[in-house]
Amino acid sequence: MLQTLPRRAVVALLALSVFFPLGLVIYQSVLSGPFFMPAAKLSLESFAFIFDDPDFWSAAKNTFAVAIGMSVIAIPLGAILAFIMVRTDLPGRKWLETPILIPIFVSPVVLGFGYVVSLGPVGFFSVWFQELFGGVPWNIYSLASIIVIAGLTHVPHVYLYSSSALRNLGSDVEEAARLSGASPFRVARDVSIPMVSPALLYVGVLVFFLGFEIFGLPLILGDPEGHLVLTTYLYKLTNKLGTPSYHLMAAVATCIIAVTFPLVLLQRALLKNAQRFVSMKGKSARQRPLMLGPWKWLAFGLILAWLFITVVVPVSGIALRSVVSSWGQGVNLLEVLTLDHFHAVFEENTMIRSIINSVLIGTLGGALAVGGYLAIGLTTHRKNDGLSRFVDYIVLTPRAIPGLMAGLAVFWVFLFVPFLAPLRSTLFSVWFAYAVVWLAYGMRLIQSALMQVGPELEEAGRLVGASNARVSRDITVPLVRNGLLGAWLLIFMIFEREYSTGVYLLSPGTEVIGAQIVSLWASGAVDVVAALSLINMALVGIGLAVALRFGVKLHD
Amino acid sequence: MTDKTILSVDNLALSYGSNPILKGVSMQLKRGEVVSLLGPSGSGKTTLLRAVAGLEQPHHGSVTIAGRAIYDAAANIDIPAEKRDLGLVFQSYALWPHKTVFDNVAYPLKLRKVAQNEIVQRVHAALKNLGLDHLAERYPHQLSGGQQQRVSIARALVYNPPVILLDEPLSNLDAKMREEARAWLRNLIVEMQLSALVVTHDQSEAMAMSDRILLLNGGVIEQQGTPTDMYGQPQTYFVADFMGSNNIMTGRIGDIKGGEARIDLDNGISVWGLRRTNAAIGHEAKAVIRVEQARLADAGGHNRTEVDLVTSMFLGDRYEYVFHAGKDLLRSWGTRHEAPGKRWLELPGDAVWIF
Amino acid sequence: MNTTRRRFQRGLLAGLTIAALNATVGMAPALAQSTADLAAAAQKEGKLVIYGVTDNEQANHLIREFRSMYPAINVEYSNMSTTELYNRFISESAAGSSADITWSSSMDLQIKLVNDGYAQPHKSAETAKLPDWANWKNEAFGTTYEPIGIVYNKRLIPAADVPHSHADFIKLLNTQTEKYKGKVNTYDPEKSGVGFMLVTQDKQVNAASFAELQKALGAVQVKVQASTGTMMERIASGENLIGYNLNTAYALTRAKKDPSIGIVLPKDYTLVLSRVMFIARKAKNPNAAKLWLDFVLSKKGQEIIASKADLYAIRPDVEGDTTASGLKKELGDALRPVAINTGLLTYLDQAKRLEFLKQWNSTVKGK
Repeated sequence: MLQTLPRRAVVALLALSVFFPLGLVIYQSVLSGPFFMPAAKLSLESFAFIFDDPDFWSAAKNTFAVAIGMSVIAIPLGAILAFIMVRTDLPGRKWLETPILIPIFVSPVVLGFGYVVSLGPVGFFSVWFQELFGGVPWNIYSLASIIVIAGLTHVPHVYLYSSSALRNLGSDVEEAARLSGASPFRVARDVSIPMVSPALLYVGVLVFFLGFEIFGLPLILGDPEGHLVLTTYLYKLTNKLGTPSYHLMAAVATCIIAVTFPLVLLQRALLKNAQRFVSMKGKSARQRPLMLGPWKWLAFGLILAWLFITVVVPVSGIALRSVVSSWGQGVNLLEVLTLDHFHAVFEENTMIRSIINSVLIGTLGGALAVGGYLAIGLTTHRKNDGLSRFVDYIVLTPRAIPGLMAGLAVFWVFLFVPFLAPLRSTLFSVWFAYAVVWLAYGMRLIQSALMQVGPELEEAGRLVGASNARVSRDITVPLVRNGLLGAWLLIFMIFEREYSTGVYLLSPGTEVIGAQIVSLWASGAVDVVAALSLINMALVGIGLAVALRFGVKLHD
Repeated sequence: MTDKTILSVDNLALSYGSNPILKGVSMQLKRGEVVSLLGPSGSGKTTLLRAVAGLEQPHHGSVTIAGRAIYDAAANIDIPAEKRDLGLVFQSYALWPHKTVFDNVAYPLKLRKVAQNEIVQRVHAALKNLGLDHLAERYPHQLSGGQQQRVSIARALVYNPPVILLDEPLSNLDAKMREEARAWLRNLIVEMQLSALVVTHDQSEAMAMSDRILLLNGGVIEQQGTPTDMYGQPQTYFVADFMGSNNIMTGRIGDIKGGEARIDLDNGISVWGLRRTNAAIGHEAKAVIRVEQARLADAGGHNRTEVDLVTSMFLGDRYEYVFHAGKDLLRSWGTRHEAPGKRWLELPGDAVWIF
Repeated sequence: MNTTRRRFQRGLLAGLTIAALNATVGMAPALAQSTADLAAAAQKEGKLVIYGVTDNEQANHLIREFRSMYPAINVEYSNMSTTELYNRFISESAAGSSADITWSSSMDLQIKLVNDGYAQPHKSAETAKLPDWANWKNEAFGTTYEPIGIVYNKRLIPAADVPHSHADFIKLLNTQTEKYKGKVNTYDPEKSGVGFMLVTQDKQVNAASFAELQKALGAVQVKVQASTGTMMERIASGENLIGYNLNTAYALTRAKKDPSIGIVLPKDYTLVLSRVMFIARKAKNPNAAKLWLDFVLSKKGQEIIASKADLYAIRPDVEGDTTASGLKKELGDALRPVAINTGLLTYLDQAKRLEFLKQWNSTVKGK
C-alpha cells in the first residue's frame, strides 16, 4: 500500500520498463531494416520474407510439435509424480522433495550440453552402453529426443502446481475410493487427478507456452541435424542474410508473441478458476497418506529412473567433460584427466568476471529485483482498482516475449536512451533485462507472500493512525520478511540459470556465465563451456543449499 | 442530532460492484452509550462498522464523529482511516505478531509522536487496567485467546478514541469464556464510560451488552430500540423470528377485532393474538410465540389446544417439551419431567404475534 | 601438414625479433618521428576499445605486449562473434560511437562496413609491408594468414585414407560412403558467415569440383555446425570423423593438447583467410587506434601472432612455420588467400545469397 503519488510513479516506471522494449520489438518488425538506420522505412517485407521462408514454417511446425509433445509427456508424469509425493507413503518422500525440483534450476544450455557429452553418438553413456549391448537405440539429435528431454525436464513445473492443488484436497475422497476397491493407481487416475484438473489445465497451458520459448535445448541438440524451432530460427536469422536482420528477428518475435500473449491471458483466467476450485475443496483438508504397499517400490524406482535421466546423466556428463581434455570412442578417460579447463577459466579475466558478475547479479541483483517486485506488489496490495488490474496485465506481459529478444530490446533501450547509455556496459543493463524478463515469476512470489498477511493486521495499523506508507513499512514488510528471503533465494537461482536474455547484452563488464556459455558454445570452446557449466551448477547448488538451510519452500 | 450524539450515520449506502450492501442506513450513538449492530450474516452489519472505521468505501450519505464530518459523499469528504481517530477491536484481534504486547499497544502513541517516557507510562497504565501488565514483553502467540483480546482492547483504547468499535468481540472465545468475557466487557465499557459500537450476530450477546440494538436485514435497519423493546415488541416477523427462540406456525387470518386477530393455523389450531399485519381476512399469515411463553394448562379454554407431548428433554436448568400439532413441532419449557401423552397447551393471546 | 614437426623455433624467432628492432631503429627518420608523435598523442588518449572475434586468450598476447610498450594506454578488448560484432558496431555507431578498432574474421562483413563508410584511412611504414591483396584503400587491413583445411580424427581414420587434396576428399566420401555417413562435418553456411564465405570461395576457385563436393557431402549426409570449435569437438570425440573447411589455426591450438586431431592442408588449393582490421571513422581514440594497427602489423606484432597467438603471420618478412612465408614454402602456388576487396560483397546481396543457400540446401541437405 503506497500513497497515490509514489504508487503512480512505480506503475509508470513499470509500464515504461515493459512496454518500451516490447514496443520497440513490434516497431522494428514493421521496418525494412534496423530501426536506427536512416534507410529503414515502414514496411511489412519482414513478415513477407519469413512467411516465404520454408525454414520458418518448419520451425513453426517443430515448435508446435515440441510444445504439444512436451505437454503430453510432462503433464501426466508431473501429475503422477505429485500424487505419489503428496498422497502416498512413498519411502524417502522428504528426501526426494529437493532433487525432483533440480531440473527447474539447471540452465537448459547446460543440460543440452550435458546430454551431448553423455548420450551423444559417442557420449560417455552411449559408449558404455554400446560396449555392453552392442548398440545405442537413441539418437540424441532427433526432434523426438528434444521433445522427450524437454518434456522430462518440465515435469517439475507440473509437479509444483498439481502438488499444491493435491495438498488442498481432503484425503477422505481417496479413502472412499480405496474402500470401494480401487488400487492406488486407480485412485490417482479416477479420483485425485480429475479433482485437480483445473490446476492441471492451468499448468498444461503453462508448459505448452514454455514450449514456445525453449531455446537452449534445441540450440544445442537441434543443431547437428538442423532441427529448428522458432527461437533458434530467430537466432539463426542473425546470420542468414550475411548482415544482421533485426527486422526479421523482430518479425519472428512478434509472431511468437502473437501466440504466447493470448496464452498468458488464458493462463491468468485459468489460474483464477483453479484457485477457486482448490479453495472450495480445501476446507476439509485432512491428509493421511495412501498406503502403496508393494507398489511403492515401483513408484520409487520410476522416480529414481526419471531423476537419473534428467539430472544424473547430463550433470555427470558435464562434470566428466570438464576434467578431460578429450573424449569419445577409443579414448581412455584416465589418460586424459586434466584440470586445465578450470585453469583456463581462472586465468582468463573475462571468465573470472563472468563468475563474479553471475554471483553479483544473483545476490545483489536478486535482492534489488525482490525490492523492485515488492514495490510493485505493494502498489497493488489490497487494492482492486483500475490501476491494480493494469499492473496485473503489465506484470504478465514480459512472459510472452522470448528472453533472447527481450535482451536485444533492452540492449537497444540502453543504447538509444541518452541518460541510460552510460549504464549500458555495466551489469545494470543485464540486471534490468533479467528483472523484466522474470517479472511475472517474481511477482507471483511476492504476491503470494503478501497474501499471507492477514488484511486485518494492516487495517488495525490504519485504525490506530498509521498512513498507508507507515503500514507498509511497520507492518506489512516486516511480516513478509521470511517470504522475501525465500523469494530472494529463488530469484538468485533463476538469475544464475538464465542464459538467453544476456546473449545480446554481453560486453566487457557485463559478462554472466549463462550468456558466456552460449557465446563460447557458438565459438566452439567446449572445454571452457564444460568448466563454466560446472561452476554455474555449483552456484545454483549453493543457492539451493542455503535455501534449504533456511527452510525456504521451493514452491508456493 | 443532540449535543450528546457522538457518532451519527446518515443515509449511508455502499455497494460491492453492482451488489448493494448498505441501502441507506441512519443511526446515532450517544456519548457513553453502547449500541449493538445485530443481524444475520450478509445483513451489512460488519460493513457498516467498517465503513464508519474508514475501511470500506460508501458512495452515499455521511458519517459524523463528535461534530466532525469524517465522511460526506455530497461534500466530497472522506477522511482516511488513520485520521479518524477511532478505536477498533478486530474479530481476530489483529495483533501484530512481530511486535511484543508492549509494542503493539505503544504503536498508536508512537504514531502520534508522544514522548517516549509518556508512552511507557500510558501503555503500562492501559495494560494494568486490563490486567496485562505482567505480559508486556511477551509476543502475541504466547498469549491465550482471552489475553489477546485484552491486548487488542488496550491497543484500541490507549489513545482515548471518542468511539470504540468492536467487531464480534466475543466470537473467538470458547463458549464458557464467552459469558464471563461478556460481563467483563460490559463492566469495562460502563466503568470507563466508553461510547461503543459493537457488531455481533448473537442476539443474547447484543441484549446483554448494549443500551440499544440496531437490527439490520439486507442492508437496511429493520428495527432499533432497547433490548427489552426489541425482544418484547418486535414490529416485524423478521425481528420476532431473529430475537429469541420461537414457535412459528402458518395459517390464514380468520377474524379481526381491532388490534387483535384470530389465525386459523394449518395444523388445525385457531388462536387469537396481537395483530402486526395488514393482511385481510382469508389471507396468509404467521403466528409467532416465544417458547418460554407457551405453557402447559390443566384443561381447555381460550387459546388453549390439545396437543400430543412426544418427549421431555432435560436441559439442566429446565425441561423442554416437544409436542406434535398437526405437521408442526411445538416447544415449551417447564420445571419437571412430563410423561408423553395428550396435553393442553396454552398460547396466551398477549404473547402471540400475528404477522 | 606434418603436425608432429616442431612448430616453434623460439630461438630463431627471438633472434629475428632483435633484428627487427634494429631495423626499426635504422628506419627513415621522418617515419620514426611520426611514430613517436603518434605514440605521444595515443598515450594522451589513454584508452583503446577493440571489438574482436579472436579469443581473449590469443588476443591477450598482443595486448600484453602493447601495454608493456605503451603503459599509459588502457586496452579494452571485447570478444564476440562475427555477427555480434557487426550488429553491435553498427547500432552503437548509430547511437553515437563504438569501438576504435574492429578485428574480425568475417572478411565480407568487415568490407561491407568499410564500404559503408565506417572506417578511416591509415597509412604508415607498417601498412606498406602488407601484400596488395590484404590492404584495401588503406582502410581495411588483413592481419593474419589462416589456412583453411581438413581436420580429421587420427585415432579413427587410417593414415592411408587421409585425403591430401579436394579430389582425395571427394573420392574418400564417394568410395567409403557408408563409413562416413553422418560422420563428416562442415560449416553451416546459414549460421556462419565465415562458412558461407568459404564455400562461395570454393565455388569461385573450381566450380566443377565444388559441384562434385556438394554431391559427395550430400551423399554422406554431412553434419553442419556453426563454428570450427564445435566441429573439432565432434571430430575429437569420434562422433564425426572428418571435417571440411575448418580454420586450421584453431585446429593447431587444439592439436597441441589433443593427439586425436589431425590436420591436412589440401595440395591442390588451400583457401586462406585473413582477419580484417580497420579503424572506426568515429573512433574516440584515433591515435591509439592507429598505434595499435601499426603494432599488429609490425614485425613484433606479427611474430606474436605467429608464435603465441597460434594464428599465422601475414607479413612476408616474418618467418617460421606459422607464417605466410612458411606456408608458401610448403604449398607454393596452392595458397589462395581471399582478397580483401569489394568482390567479397557479391554474396551480401540478399537475393544472390538466398539463391546460393537454396542451391546448397537442395544438393547438400537434400531439401
